[in-house]
Amino acid sequence: MALAPLDDEIAISELISNPYPIYKRLRAQTPVLRVKSIGRTFITKAADTRPIKDNPELFSSNDPNTPMQRAFNAHTLMRKDGEDHMAERKAMMPTFSPTNLKTVWSPAYEKLAHEYLDRLPRNEVIDLFPMLAGPLSASILSIILGMPDATDDDMQFWSQALIDGAGNFAWADEPFERVDKANAAMDTYIAKQAEILKAEPDQSALSVMVNADNPIAYSQIVSNLKIAIGGGINEPRDCMLTILYGLLTNIDQLEELKTSGNWSAAFEEGVRWVAPIQVSSRLVMQDTTIRGFDIPKGDVVMTIQASANHDEELFEDGDKFNALRKRTPHQSFGSGPHHCMGTHLARLTIGKLLLPLIFERFPNMEIVEPENVKWWGFGFRGPLNLNVRLN
Amino acid sequence: MTEVIFVSANGEKTTVEANAGDTVMQTALAANISDIIAECGGAMMCATCHVYVDDDWLERVGKADEDELTMLDFASSEVKPTSRLSCQIKVDDENSGMIIHLPDSQL
Repeated sequence: MALAPLDDEIAISELISNPYPIYKRLRAQTPVLRVKSIGRTFITKAADTRPIKDNPELFSSNDPNTPMQRAFNAHTLMRKDGEDHMAERKAMMPTFSPTNLKTVWSPAYEKLAHEYLDRLPRNEVIDLFPMLAGPLSASILSIILGMPDATDDDMQFWSQALIDGAGNFAWADEPFERVDKANAAMDTYIAKQAEILKAEPDQSALSVMVNADNPIAYSQIVSNLKIAIGGGINEPRDCMLTILYGLLTNIDQLEELKTSGNWSAAFEEGVRWVAPIQVSSRLVMQDTTIRGFDIPKGDVVMTIQASANHDEELFEDGDKFNALRKRTPHQSFGSGPHHCMGTHLARLTIGKLLLPLIFERFPNMEIVEPENVKWWGFGFRGPLNLNVRLN
Repeated sequence: MTEVIFVSANGEKTTVEANAGDTVMQTALAANISDIIAECGGAMMCATCHVYVDDDWLERVGKADEDELTMLDFASSEVKPTSRLSCQIKVDDENSGMIIHLPDSQL
């Protein structure tokens, strides 16, 4: 057998500006491809990406050569396997229980969503990224994590610093300096807040972790919160904007959903169409093969769920947003032990609460110059702006 | 050889050969039973492999424990006393031939 072909043409800048045409070509021609600019083996077919996530013994999350450890000052649960990962994940799970989602976070989100929608002016052009999607996502997260005094700006600054630090594959100084500053601020606030929650426990993540019968190490509690801060704002923010863009540029679909009330279909379609987390890395633990190509131990494969979600074998016209399409499972929340912990929260808050609320409040919302919406990102992806006129 | 009989919400029956030791969820995925999604791949982190164990088989297969019941709260179809997450049921010689009813939706 032979190694997968090696590509030395695909540039990071192309992947950041629009990776989808590249993935389409790779699915058709070279679905297993070593990409020099990224230093990873790209896996772009749905039938190949999912089994990798489902098999952590062979494809480990413990990829040591990433800047994440430096950025987080910690080896986090995202990069662990087996019992270590499970113990740290389970420590936060009570917060995300179905009961808490229904009785605590759902009313909290509804109240916040009303407050943020109340502030939006009608009849003028506004950008929903800074006016709604960013701050609302930050605000609910601060409450769920047990950090309610952190401002939306703090939360967004910390989140972006963690993301930029963890993605700093060029090992430049500035992102690490910025995340060091963010870490210092978060560490101080979390320590203070932990004492408050020991005295007055609630269902927040910090509270359930510090008040557990057998708590995990405090350093891991802090790194769990940072993982949630790093991933818990951009993902709901980006998928919210993506779904709104999809609906506002496909008015016939929007009208049908207003009648059917099936907003969950728009949610699933939005996260399928442009997955907020586009790719994941896994370290190969044993020599193996994929589609007949040798994948040696020590190689790092990159599952491209963004590509799997457009796979022609599963989706007709997968590059088009169609909230009325036949329901087919996508891979945006991943699978296996690292399956996204916020899945149910996102489905509830965005799919079941926000979408009906926003179109009830502004039934004639219009997108302004959709051609000027700028999409950006290789690892994480979403619109950087979304101008609308509310009515 | 062990086997599992899947019955879809509209009554369609599929008999699938299973490897002893595999879960019902793994058996379904291997046989392309599309009514089982199993988003989390068997980590008991979701409820998209929800099934109903046939009444006559429930005693042999067993009911859901507390952790499983908590996760079943996320199931999109009605949760009944026979509800299980199929990732938590192992196929063996004892329960070979079990009848598993599939819900009408998993998402």
